[in-house]
Amino acid sequence: MSANPAVRNRLGLVLVLVLLVLLPRIIQDRYHLHIIVMMGIFTILTLSWNLLAGYTGQLNLGHAAFFGIGAYTSALLAMNTGLSPWLGLPAGGLVAAFFGFLLGFPALRLSGPYLAITTIGFAEILRLVAVNWVDLTRGSLGLSGIPLLTPIEIGSWSMKFYFEKDYYYVVLAGVLLTIFCMRRLVRSEFGVSLQALRDDEPGAQSIGINISQYKLAVFTVSAFFAGFAGALFAHFSRLVSPETMALHTTFDILTMTMVGGLGTLLGPVLGAVMLTFLSEWLRYFEDLIQFDIRLVVYGLLLILTILFMREGLAGVVKWIADWIRSALKGEKGGTPS
Amino acid sequence: MTEILRTEGLTKYFGGLCAVHDVTFSMKEGEILGLIGPNGAGKTTLINMISSALTPSRGEILFKGERSSGIGAHKANLLGIARTFQIVRIFSKLTVLENVLAGVVDRRRKGPWRLIAESIFKPRDGGKAERTALETADRLLDFVEISRYRDEKAENLPYALTKRLEMARALATDPALLLLDEPSSGLNPAELNGQIELIRKINGQGITILIIEHVMKVIMDISDRLIVLHYGEKIAEGQPQEVYSDPQVVEAYLGDETDASH
Repeated sequence: MSANPAVRNRLGLVLVLVLLVLLPRIIQDRYHLHIIVMMGIFTILTLSWNLLAGYTGQLNLGHAAFFGIGAYTSALLAMNTGLSPWLGLPAGGLVAAFFGFLLGFPALRLSGPYLAITTIGFAEILRLVAVNWVDLTRGSLGLSGIPLLTPIEIGSWSMKFYFEKDYYYVVLAGVLLTIFCMRRLVRSEFGVSLQALRDDEPGAQSIGINISQYKLAVFTVSAFFAGFAGALFAHFSRLVSPETMALHTTFDILTMTMVGGLGTLLGPVLGAVMLTFLSEWLRYFEDLIQFDIRLVVYGLLLILTILFMREGLAGVVKWIADWIRSALKGEKGGTPS
Repeated sequence: MTEILRTEGLTKYFGGLCAVHDVTFSMKEGEILGLIGPNGAGKTTLINMISSALTPSRGEILFKGERSSGIGAHKANLLGIARTFQIVRIFSKLTVLENVLAGVVDRRRKGPWRLIAESIFKPRDGGKAERTALETADRLLDFVEISRYRDEKAENLPYALTKRLEMARALATDPALLLLDEPSSGLNPAELNGQIELIRKINGQGITILIIEHVMKVIMDISDRLIVLHYGEKIAEGQPQEVYSDPQVVEAYLGDETDASH
């Protein structure tokens, strides 16, 4: 009896995975696959931002900079040194991680709005560097013609990366890897310590948690995954401009995470998927009414979430699951006191 | 009995204000030392220096013969000094169990970088380490008698029990010296007796206790010795009964005639 829910969960997981693997066979339209790949990239971004904001209580409004650093790093390495984009993916993550480590230092002394403003400044500086260092970055034109991921050949089997469906599998692997790591991180001793310092810093110190080191570490890890997402984005879209690092990218990430459910693992995934879909859908309307309605809708969603569902979509899902579970129990008549 | 803590000429200034001035005292292993004094006497500042949340302006703290002043709160805890707070500082969004788990000490010594690497790359060892930690945490929840709230969010605990949770969390770090900052404030008379009993029980485990307390019943009941602070200075020290009848102490609490005329 007690093994039943675990078995059911495993089965559910396998079912979801099979569905995800078969998805490009169900949805073959390139435009829709493009959107789905972007959902995946934003999922990695929201999960990484959530580690900082949701689990550690550090409001980083410069997260887009890590995304941009990862994108530029991998793109420039591939274009200037001919480094394989496959190595560019972790390289983008590592360079972003280094900058994350640096941004961790102000976080040791600042909190709340002061930290938020500092991180905005950090991202703006990097954006301006990208605009003005024309020799390296081609300024606001951005980098175009970034190489595709190189084909993989194992014996007679080979896979080329020309189309959205090919990238879909790479990004899917990236998303699953990120979810796996985040899940392990937040449930580990490291994760509990992060949540402890989020709730009360002096309290955390009083039980031996070195909060400075923890903050530096979490900024580094978070930036790594954002940079990894950036590198994926660079070789997928083949175009990276300084706009990638602009504040509105961070606000997209923020809105997705908040609407999905801050400080949960399911929330950022739901938020990224729903809002990427929503913003594409809104484009039809924008063409009709000639007005950029997307940001208005995002803002509205954010306000509604904060007012009426603090735990976001993940909270709603949990509420429904609990409701079904208790309803099932009630049917069996076995309600324990 | 051996000495566990000694302070020498401990002084703390906040700007021009002298909160603690030249306080020297020592504690023996296993005793309960009461720290009393009127509001603003510098009691909490003194405890903050001993737990290394504050660095003294002058003077030294020796814990087990080792200099521990100004080393930082987390390091002081690793040496064996744990504390509770006057205004409770629990981890409100974590469950009661997780609050205590966060304090189980083996986890602390590794540092975040190693913990990250282990959490991602280390294969599961069947959860043996986790089980041991869980057992410790559950035992402590039993000890402070809040087991039935184990899986509640800490923010939903009744106030009196948050004080107990803080104690369990402090004990999870396996301290030699426990600093209690007003463990009885805000408790009703029935809860007060439970608290006295609990503090005795903790002391019975061989843990030395330094306690700040305003509730006279508690402090007279459980202290082996008392220290009285007044305007940041130590004005009396000794057995509870003799300190209680010390004219200087009575004056500090009730005010002398010049004070009354203000």
